[in-house]
Amino acid sequence: MSDSSSSYAPEVARTKRQDEQLSSVLLRLVKGGPEQQAVEAGEIDAVIDYSGSNVILFPAARQALRPAAAGESAYEPVANSLLAALTRREYQQLTPSLEPVTLTSGAVLHEPGEPIRFVYFPVDCVVSLLATPKGRRTVEVGLVGFDGMVGTSLALGVNVSSLRARVQIGGTALRMPQARFTRTVQESQTLRHELNLYIYSELTAARQTAVCSTFHQIEERLASRLLTTSARARSDRFYVTQESLAGVLGVRRESITQAAIGLQRRRLITYHRGNLRILNRQGLEAASCHCYGQLSV
Amino acid sequence: MSAQGAKPGRRTDGYATAVVLRLYVAGNAPNSAQAVANLEAICREYLNGAHDLEIIDVLEHPQRAMAAGILVTPTLSKLYPLPTAQVVGNLSDTSRVLLAIGIGSQAHE
Repeated sequence: MSDSSSSYAPEVARTKRQDEQLSSVLLRLVKGGPEQQAVEAGEIDAVIDYSGSNVILFPAARQALRPAAAGESAYEPVANSLLAALTRREYQQLTPSLEPVTLTSGAVLHEPGEPIRFVYFPVDCVVSLLATPKGRRTVEVGLVGFDGMVGTSLALGVNVSSLRARVQIGGTALRMPQARFTRTVQESQTLRHELNLYIYSELTAARQTAVCSTFHQIEERLASRLLTTSARARSDRFYVTQESLAGVLGVRRESITQAAIGLQRRRLITYHRGNLRILNRQGLEAASCHCYGQLSV
Repeated sequence: MSAQGAKPGRRTDGYATAVVLRLYVAGNAPNSAQAVANLEAICREYLNGAHDLEIIDVLEHPQRAMAAGILVTPTLSKLYPLPTAQVVGNLSDTSRVLLAIGIGSQAHE
């Protein structure tokens, strides 16, 4: 990864969301009351959000708690954002049920109509969620990276997958058996809250994908897709075949070849035998259909 | 939360009753850590062990903070002796803490 953290839209979006929640809760404090006075004096670390039943940290406390949590020997840094939201105790209770697995590109984790046996929390792999209409090409309706999980339908009480989950970029994930995950969701308010936010962002991305595939040109969509993958993979270089991109965007392989040639001519990417590198991020953003912002939130 | 779960008890001298305190913090965040240190120093100096202090991490137990009607952390809540009182912030103002605990007048003369 070569870009600053500002290019990682999911993290930026998460921080923005927390700041918005914080402002809205602060507005509810009694004017001139002791709480508000202490906030103004900079003596407060967190506010309790009664409407969302959670605790919202002030930016300084957020900053201070991160390195402290990672630095403790009994608490390994958590590389998946959903798991990182858990309290230390909750995470430690969960650790025995989390099995690190190496996923290879192309591996299928879930098939439509089949029961979900495991959920997966990607660490450095990227998983594509594909709709598989009968007699048609597959089309991608979601992309899961370090900021999400595969198997969210379980959190909604549905233990059968409606989509194919296929590993797009190989790497590591933490997997958890279905029964343990279901129990954890019931027990952990923190995880439930994070999952609600994540499922909402998945839903928003799926809506945007529908708009994107209806109205936008293939070259624009490819640019958006490459930017989203880069954000999920936290890297400007990754391996992706033309066949898989065709399956993802629901177009013929030849169309991907043409679109990729177009982006290479403009010196925005290099692409050789599946090895893709983003050369000019700003240029690629300008060439994209601007769904990238919405898709990556 | 009322004084439920608190353990007010009589000291060996028969009439002075322990002060029951709850300090709501957000992990080791800067103001929370400061509040813990300030409160422990105050308890050592003025209460001489005649207190029951529980430190509650709202990141681990948000429901306890909500049950007690806590809005921000750090917040110190004195449950006993009655009346209850609260101090919000990092507890660097010792006189306010003592006033809330109910020993302000003796300590600051």
